[in-house]
Amino acid sequence: MATVTLKALEKSYGDTKVLTGIDLSIENGEYLVLVGPSGCGKSTLLRCIAGLESITGGALEIGGARMNDVAPQDRNIAMVFQSYALYPHMTVRRNLGFPLEIRKAEATAISEAVERVAKMLELEELLERFPGQLSGGQRQRVAMGRAMVREPSVFLFDEPLSNLDAALRGHMRAELKRLHRRLKTTVVHVTHDQVEALTLADRILVLNEGVVQQVGTPRELFDEPANTFVATFIGSPSMNLLEREDVCLGVRPTDVTLGEGPETARVDLIESLGAEALVHLELNGSPFLAMVPEPVEVEAGQEIALGFRKVHRFDRETGARL
Amino acid sequence: MRGLRTLLLLTTAFLLLPFEALAEDNPLRLWHAYRGAEEAALQAAADRYTEQTGTKVQLTATPFGAFEKKLETAIPRGNGPDLFIAAHGNLGKWQDLNLMVSVLPQDGQQPLATEALQDNDLQWGHPLALKTLLLFSDPELVDAAPTTTDELIAQAQALTDGQTYGLVYQAGTPFFHAPWMHGFGAESIGPNGAELNSQEHIDAYAFTQRLSHTLDIMPKRPTAQLLSQLYNDGRAAFVISGPWFLSEIDRPIRASSLPIISENGQPAKPFLSVEAIFVADGARLPEEAADFAAWLSSSEGAQIRQDTGKQAVTATEIEPTDDPIISAVLEQSAQAVPLPTDSDISNVWRAQEKAMEALVSGGASAKRTAENAAYFHSIYSREAPTPASAAPYWILMLGVLGGGVWWVRRQWGNADLRRRLRLHRGDYLWVLPAGVAMLILVALPFAMGAAVSLYAHQGGEWTFVGLSHFWEILSASETGFTSPMSFWYTLVVTLLWTVTNLMLHVGIGVGLALLLREPWIRMRGVWRALLILPWAIPNYITALIWKTMFHVQYGAVNALLGFGGEPANVDWFSSFSTAFCANLITNTWLGFPFMMVVTLGALQAIPRELEEAAEVDGASWWTRFRMVIWPLLKPALMPAIILGSVWTFNMFNVIYLVSNGGPMGSTEILISDAYQWAFSGGNYYGYAAAYAVLIFGVLLIYSRFANRLAGRRVL
Repeated sequence: MATVTLKALEKSYGDTKVLTGIDLSIENGEYLVLVGPSGCGKSTLLRCIAGLESITGGALEIGGARMNDVAPQDRNIAMVFQSYALYPHMTVRRNLGFPLEIRKAEATAISEAVERVAKMLELEELLERFPGQLSGGQRQRVAMGRAMVREPSVFLFDEPLSNLDAALRGHMRAELKRLHRRLKTTVVHVTHDQVEALTLADRILVLNEGVVQQVGTPRELFDEPANTFVATFIGSPSMNLLEREDVCLGVRPTDVTLGEGPETARVDLIESLGAEALVHLELNGSPFLAMVPEPVEVEAGQEIALGFRKVHRFDRETGARL
Repeated sequence: MRGLRTLLLLTTAFLLLPFEALAEDNPLRLWHAYRGAEEAALQAAADRYTEQTGTKVQLTATPFGAFEKKLETAIPRGNGPDLFIAAHGNLGKWQDLNLMVSVLPQDGQQPLATEALQDNDLQWGHPLALKTLLLFSDPELVDAAPTTTDELIAQAQALTDGQTYGLVYQAGTPFFHAPWMHGFGAESIGPNGAELNSQEHIDAYAFTQRLSHTLDIMPKRPTAQLLSQLYNDGRAAFVISGPWFLSEIDRPIRASSLPIISENGQPAKPFLSVEAIFVADGARLPEEAADFAAWLSSSEGAQIRQDTGKQAVTATEIEPTDDPIISAVLEQSAQAVPLPTDSDISNVWRAQEKAMEALVSGGASAKRTAENAAYFHSIYSREAPTPASAAPYWILMLGVLGGGVWWVRRQWGNADLRRRLRLHRGDYLWVLPAGVAMLILVALPFAMGAAVSLYAHQGGEWTFVGLSHFWEILSASETGFTSPMSFWYTLVVTLLWTVTNLMLHVGIGVGLALLLREPWIRMRGVWRALLILPWAIPNYITALIWKTMFHVQYGAVNALLGFGGEPANVDWFSSFSTAFCANLITNTWLGFPFMMVVTLGALQAIPRELEEAAEVDGASWWTRFRMVIWPLLKPALMPAIILGSVWTFNMFNVIYLVSNGGPMGSTEILISDAYQWAFSGGNYYGYAAAYAVLIFGVLLIYSRFANRLAGRRVL
């Protein structure tokens, strides 16, 4: 277990800046999720921490030691790749034991560690199989197991769940949470899925175009988004933005009340989700979403009054929270 | 589609067209190896003859080195010319091979020349000119030609410095060694046949070694090109060569007789060869050919050849000339030994040449050289195996055939097989062309080669000897197991050659492929193209370039090994280890790109993330390669390695062109050795075919083994 500290970290390829001035301090045992749209630099940031990409500016410290020029194999980290990167020519047993094998650990120590991890991840039955003979979920667990087998100081997860189907993803998400509670190791987890971020993270870092937008607990990010980007990125369905004179107003669809209020909108379409309904409205010519409990007593084409329970205010120019 | 049909029709028409019809008026075809003034004179004479008779003569020049081999292979197969011009030395061998027909003797020729062309009471060609070695000197460096060898050596030593060589000649070839050999009283073939280990031979070898090695007055390993280049640059004081040397010289030159040997007061006696025109066996126009041959030899043709070609012609009734070169040839001819025509002479020359490789580089003493020459000669000239009765082989063949027929009949009884054959009739039709091609191009030549291995070919005669060749080869009965002439020695060298090559090809190929993948490499495409280039260039060109680069004095390799200072002095072809290395370096240059290309392809299929995962897991560069990349490369690389090993095992070009098996046959591999047996000197086709069958056997065993190695069927 260790802290991870980023001080004004920068990364550029030639003249192209990918990461700009990233400051971040990850606590010991904290589960930090990096989110952002694709191409925002979150994977690059993770690879910088892993040492797979060089750092072109600033500093990276793991456990208080400067790591900028330390080779990946000497950083005592473990990483799970999106593709799992299992060694196709090795059995599950050898895959799991690989990090210990190359450290020349005793055969008995390796086998004990492998058995322990296999038991934890329910892989005991699969030990003699090759990766090609496993399902997606099983491979994912082997990849996790390989990361866990040697008790690293930091886990780095690069979209570990994105290759799984929805049901399995939900299951593995819970598994990850349980594992973290047990192991209490520092985790940096990259995802583009905000549900994953909100459910797993102690803190979330939102990244856009290489710049940190906000760092905070899921609650903070949801309740007090630092800018319009975070506001629209976090939360599903995403926040409505209304441009009014000098400010930009943000209203979460769940904070909309139908039937009473100062605004008037036209109902365009109603999607029922069972307990709730998603009402597509047209407000001043722009689309506007409301999420209200069923039953909904409006019809498409109807004009209806709107009210807002909570309104976020942002600067029209900068998008910053006011 | 219509275009294709037209093309097909045209091709067929072209193939059916009789070639005779293409050549309008059927000229006489004459093959020769002349260059420069001699070639011009021959053309002028041919033109004159056409004017007089209306018969056209078509001249074809062939490089001297390939000339005899071309005659010996083309004429017996009916592809030869009507006439050819050659020295009389091969008369005996060519009679055995039936290369030419006899002609009617003519008057007006020097008796010596006519006699040289007579054998078995017949005359085999019309004499044209006398050729012999002369001592050439550079009038700008040398005031007067020396008369004794001591004078020659003293002058040469005085003129030798870092730039200029006192003496330049191809000391390592028997033809150029002959003046000293005869001068010391030795003979190629004496009254009792070849006795190559006599004291006279040893004395002559010692003298040659003194000139070429000990005295340091000569460049090392001079080639014909080097001779003329050095002379034209004014860097050679004395040159020993024949009149043909002049065709490449553009500076003043003086010709004189070879000096008297100071040790015994005897003149140095070079070989005298009588150049003659022969009517080829199977000539299409034998009468016209005989007429032209007689005319070219006669005083009329001789006059043109003397005036234009500066030949020392053999016709007597011509206008005398005061040309100094012609005079020198005629003077030297009085002190010369006519080339022996015994059919054993090619064995003697081959044996001497092979033995002298070590003599001129200082690797063997004169005594050892004489012993080696005698040993090599004993092997080349050994008796053919005794004829065997073919009956047991016929019985065996019939047995095998009968067994085959029985097997087919039994299979035919299998109704299921018959049904499947009928069902897939169409499929078999599709495979048929490939099957027929394989039969004609692979199976048939192999069967014929195997059949040839049961026959002995000596002096143009084929005798059935059964498996004697195989017994002789495998028991090493003639050579002993450890001699470089034995099959087993050559097999070990071949295996060493294959293994070392592959290790380097794979090592360098994989290394470069991995390097090319590194993200920091710029201009990747350019590098890749450059690195594939050695593979794209025909390998014989590459081999010849490397051979010159390994030259002891003028080669780029030694210059590079000098690291900018004085060039290194490694005589690459003087010992087994260095000659083997020279071959190895050349073939590695040729071989690594293939492995690199295969590796580059295979690497595409290995995700980068696997390596990154291993890196994060704590693996060093070497561990990542050993435990992740190599195991994943192996399945793709294994077939390439196995293919590469077969190619290398049979890599004839590099061995033949770079070291030519030398020194003394030690770097020969099986395939090049088989070639030497078949095509240099004795034409032991049957023996060579037995080699080929054994090579096939070795590779067959290897392919079984390779499949196990690769874990699947690759070969």
